[in-house]
Amino acid sequence: MEKEALSLLELNSLVRQVLNKSLPDAYWIQAELSDVRSNTTGHCYLEFVQKDARGNNLIAKARGTIWANVFRMLKPYFEESTGQVFVSGIKVMVQVTVEFHELYGYSLTVIDIDPSYTLGDMARKRREILKQLEEEGVLTLNKELEMPELVQKVAVISSASAAGYGDFCRQLEENPYGFIFYPHLFPALMQGSQVEESVIAALNAIYDRRDHFDAVVIIRGGGATSDLSGFDTYLLAANCAQFPLPIITGIGHERDDTVIDSVAHTRVKTPTAAAQFLINHMQETAENLEELAHTLVSSVSGRMEKENLRLSDLTARLPLVIKNRTMRENYLLEQLSQRINVGIARTITDKKHRLLLLEQRINDASPERLLKRGYSLTFKDGKTVTDSAQLTPGDIITTRFAKGEVKSEVK
Amino acid sequence: MAEKKDSYAQAMEKLENIVSAIEKDELDIDQLSEKLKEAQKLISFCKDKLYKADEEIRKIIEGAGN
Repeated sequence: MEKEALSLLELNSLVRQVLNKSLPDAYWIQAELSDVRSNTTGHCYLEFVQKDARGNNLIAKARGTIWANVFRMLKPYFEESTGQVFVSGIKVMVQVTVEFHELYGYSLTVIDIDPSYTLGDMARKRREILKQLEEEGVLTLNKELEMPELVQKVAVISSASAAGYGDFCRQLEENPYGFIFYPHLFPALMQGSQVEESVIAALNAIYDRRDHFDAVVIIRGGGATSDLSGFDTYLLAANCAQFPLPIITGIGHERDDTVIDSVAHTRVKTPTAAAQFLINHMQETAENLEELAHTLVSSVSGRMEKENLRLSDLTARLPLVIKNRTMRENYLLEQLSQRINVGIARTITDKKHRLLLLEQRINDASPERLLKRGYSLTFKDGKTVTDSAQLTPGDIITTRFAKGEVKSEVK
Repeated sequence: MAEKKDSYAQAMEKLENIVSAIEKDELDIDQLSEKLKEAQKLISFCKDKLYKADEEIRKIIEGAGN
């Protein structure tokens, strides 16, 4: 008996029918893009892959197709919403139908995409970078730098040809106040896979000449497609966070901050806004100066007025002060003279008294007084005799009494 | 170079010190006009920085960039 056999085409047709029947709907799936290619017809061919939890090994894979009519809409929609180019390596959520073709086999046809999933995934990556910088203690270093009062010498990181750089320079130059700025370009690639390397090289070049600059501005003209993924890398963020000059970013996008926006000293949206920030900062500086100049004038005139008041106050007080002083001196003088009078009077009385006492004592001690009381004085040759040994028999002595005297001879 | 970079900040600091000394009556009247002259010099120095292009600075910035 002849075995019945299907042709390959018949079998594949069966598979196709079964698949169509049992998987008739469109399904939302999450997967990572790989090997994304688009050709001149505008169709996009790619592979969807899924890796294990550690991200090392592939555990699922499927071919995918995005037809030109869908891809024309889907790509710009996705890129504008996420700021992320539709390339290999990113995670997406897409709506697909399951196809099976007798010749080409199993594949998924993309009909829609949900950018918010990719945004979420990118945000998670950014959060991880920021968390790492925080753990390393460098996250806020650039924000903590003090913006110098005078920010004129500006190192600009941009691509030289970008419209944004021209706008930035024009805006600075045409500022209505006539402020002077000295922008200097450090060219760098601002999109594509070399952003990280190129911007870090520019930062290093500025670092070598950091004393010549007041601040760094990183700007990027808002091109048609926004590929911001280059600004979401750890290495670039770590470089910016630890840069010794304050960094101002104007990367030109509407969505959430990129990582370098998060670590920069100041973040604005566009290159023109960055220029405006510098002009406003300069205006504040100029206002501070004007205010100080004004305060100087008013404090000088205030001081002069104060001195004038002091002078007229003193002038007014002078007569009274003099009068008071004169009165006081007069009083003191009077008191003094009184004290002198009293003192003199007391001294005179004292002296009189002492004189009287002395007189008394002198009177009491006089020889007349003793003679009167019956004592007598004996003289020999005009000298008083106080010892009998002074005399020898035959001497003539004179004896004086209170009244009169007699001469006698010693026996 | 570092000194040149700080000169505006230094001028402002000097200026602030003068103004505050005047406000606090720390200056003699005799010193006042001298200090006022100094302050006005500082002000015009600062204004020149803001409003007058300095070719020297321009050269330094452009020159070493090559």
